[in-house]
Parts: sequence; structure tokens; C-alpha cells
Amino acid sequence: MAGVMEDIRKDYAGTLSGYLIQADEEARLHAHELGRKALTGGIGVLDIVTLHHEALASLGEAASLPLDRAAEFLAESLSPFEMSLRGYREANAMLSTANTSLQQAQAATEAVNRELEAFSYSVAHDLRAPLRSIDGFSLALLEDCADLLDEAGRQHLRFVREAAQDMAALIDGLLSLSRVTRSELRRETVDLAELARNILAQLRRAAPGRNVETVIADDLFAEGDARLLRGLLENLLGNAWKFTGRQAAARIEVGMTHAGRERAYFVRDNGAGFDMAYAAKLFGAFQRLHSPSEFEGTGIGLATVQRIVHRHGGRVWAKSEIGRGATFFFTLWSTGHGA
Amino acid sequence: MELRADLFRDKRILLVEDNPRDEALTLRALQKHNLQSAVAVTRDGVEALDYLLPAADHAVQPLPQLVLLDLKLPKLDGLEVLRRLREHERTRLLPVVILTSSAEERDILESYRLGTSSYVRKPVDFAEFTEAVRYLGLYWLILNIAPPAQ
Repeated sequence: MAGVMEDIRKDYAGTLSGYLIQADEEARLHAHELGRKALTGGIGVLDIVTLHHEALASLGEAASLPLDRAAEFLAESLSPFEMSLRGYREANAMLSTANTSLQQAQAATEAVNRELEAFSYSVAHDLRAPLRSIDGFSLALLEDCADLLDEAGRQHLRFVREAAQDMAALIDGLLSLSRVTRSELRRETVDLAELARNILAQLRRAAPGRNVETVIADDLFAEGDARLLRGLLENLLGNAWKFTGRQAAARIEVGMTHAGRERAYFVRDNGAGFDMAYAAKLFGAFQRLHSPSEFEGTGIGLATVQRIVHRHGGRVWAKSEIGRGATFFFTLWSTGHGA
Repeated sequence: MELRADLFRDKRILLVEDNPRDEALTLRALQKHNLQSAVAVTRDGVEALDYLLPAADHAVQPLPQLVLLDLKLPKLDGLEVLRRLREHERTRLLPVVILTSSAEERDILESYRLGTSSYVRKPVDFAEFTEAVRYLGLYWLILNIAPPAQ
């Protein structure tokens, strides 16, 4: 910096004396150039002013000098500072505008989240209550007035009850789907193998008659939210369990492979499978590839899986063939995906 | 184990429920286990507090053995009722079971924070609901030993 200062000092005095004799455009441009060099060299406005007075003093008595021109020259050499200050002010103003819109966007997002929260809360409370009445009073009719109804009438009431219970399952599914979005994401190390063993043990307890061979890889550690990852595996393993229901020798495998350079976890079964032509529909809410008479379900499970994977910045996809089982793959924190 | 109404001379259960259909269904479930006559019903949070914490110049009812408390109630909601019951010496230890539609985590957490004795979600399937009511009656009226009167 001292070197820059010396260069400018010499140059300044010379150019100034030329300018005082003849105020030509070249000298004016040179003054501007000196100012720019000072600015980029880290020399301040006060240093320039000091230089200016030193140069003036070396040129002779103040009374004999055209001070207006000298002032013009100083102004010219300071103009890069002024421009830079203006640029800084403008950038600041733009930043502050951007900040304001960011704050507004944040406030709007928070408002939407609060609304969503209130909505889900209301769904949880208010939508189930009428269903309880529909189911309860249908059963009351079946119990109290059974002899007033013929078999067709009793069947109708049973359908009413089934429908109420299906809708309750749908509401619960939607609530758990929205909970995936609403809940805060925690990041910790999760043992997916341990989770899978737990979930499969639960499924076994609920269906002790089933004979299912399970193969779970060791060391399936992942970074993510333990509760959400549990929900993810519950859905995938629940599906595998359900769709192998008609296999004499059912097999469910949980493991890890590589998709390109990424780790891809997978859940594989040898169950009913699906037609890959419909693969794009798999992860949409309320999409089902099987009729309720084949396999029960609300069509919300895989939508929940996809949402959980997306919240973990990953991808999910499936491979299958009808009658030859299905494999669901997922990655977490893929490159190029945000959380 | 069978539940018999003649075991109970007083109103042993206070049901706090604003929805008349849910009230009818709960009473029907209780009736199946001969508990209907043991139930008093209040239909909002203020009524429930008046029943359990009567003003000095009002007749004092004996405390029930169990309060079945809905969360969503007119005037004062269930959580607020629970909070006030826990603040008051007379009802601080009274068994209160939250019986609600909600399985939202924050409802469950807040209920326990405020000192609920238990939290039960009303099943939509009435057969399951009846079972739940039977378990509640069995547990809280027969198995459970209530805190001694102070």
C-alpha cells in the first residue's frame, strides 16, 4: 500500500500542475484514473485530500494558483470514491428490498403453515366425529332393529359401516401424510437394519400364521430423522408384507446397493408385483394399482414414503414385474437435492 | 370380569361431552356393560367445572371415580378444564381420562403435561369403541385404587 501511495503522490503532483496550466480532457481522465487506482489500492479519501494539499503547496503560493481548477481536479480524483459509495448504497438498498421480500415470504410461509396446522387439527377432530356416529348408529340399527330389516337391508347397513371405517382410515392416512411435512426434521444416525427388524417383528406378531423369510443386511446406517425413517420403512415393509400375502414361500429383503455413486437402500419382496407401465402413478396420493378386493389399502402409504424421502433430499423408485415381486429403492441426501 | 351397576350407588363416572350423538353412543356402550346409571353428563367445560368444583353456595356432589373428558368443548376446552382441575386441591388427584377423536401428538403431550391420568382415542368402529369403554370401566372403577379422600 505504501508503494501505491508513493506512485500516486508523484503522479498526482505532476498531473495536477499540468491541469492547472491547461484543463484538458486527458488530464481530467488521468485524475479519475488516479482516484480509481487509490480506491483499489486501499487508499482513503483523506489521504487523497492530504496529497492534494501537499501537491498544491509544492506548486507555489495559493494566491497565485487557479484554485477553482485545483478543486475540479480534486473532485475528479475523488469521483471513483463517490461512484463506489453510490454503488454501495444502491446495493444496500437492493439488499434491504430483497431482505424485506424475504421476510414477507417467510411470514407468508409461516402463516400458511399455521393455517395448515389448524386445518389438520380440525380434520383430526371434526371429520372423525360424524364417522363415529355413522358407524355407531348403523350398528345400533343392526342390533336393535335387525328383525325389521331383510338380509338386503342388513347388508346395506354393513356397507355403510365399511364405508365409514374406510373413510376413517383415509383421514388417518392423510393426517400422517401431512404430519411428514409439518414435523421438524431432525438429523441423526439411524440404524435402518434395527428399525426393519423391529417393524417385521411387529408384523409377525400381528399375523402369526404367516410364514415369511426375512433377510436384512448388516450395517444399514443412514443419516436422517429417526421417526420419519421409521414411517418410511413401516410403509415399505407393510406393503411388502401385504403383497406377499398370497405367496406360499414369501420372502422380504432389506439391503443396500449402489445407484451410480450413491448408496441406494432397498426393500425387495417376491409378492404380487405391479405392471411397470403404471410405475409413474405409484407415489401419488390415493393412487392404487390393486382393487380393494385383491389387497386392502388407502393409497396413501407410498405418497408418504415419497414425501419422507424428499424431505431427506433423496429419490425413490421401484422395479417390478407382475407376479414376480417388487423392489423399492431410495436414496437420502442425493447430490443436487435440497432437504 | 363383569361390571355390575349395583356396585355403584353414586354417579361414579362424569362424562364431559358436547356432541349429543357421541354422548348417546358413549351411553350405549356403557349400557352394554350395565354402567349407564353410574354416569353423569356435562356438556361443556364450564358445566364440568361447576359439577366438580362447585361454588361455595352450591350443593357439593361427591366426586366421581373417573372423569371422561373430551378435548374439544364449547366455552372451556378439555385442556383448560384439566388445567383447572389440577390446580384445585379437591380435584388435583382425581382420575381424568382424555377421551377424544384426536391422535395429534401435541394434544397427547399437552394432556400429559397438564396431568391427565390416561389418554384414549375414540375408535370410529363402534364395536371397538364399546370395547374401549368396557376396558376403561373395568380398569378405573374396579382394578384401579383411587387416591384416598383428603
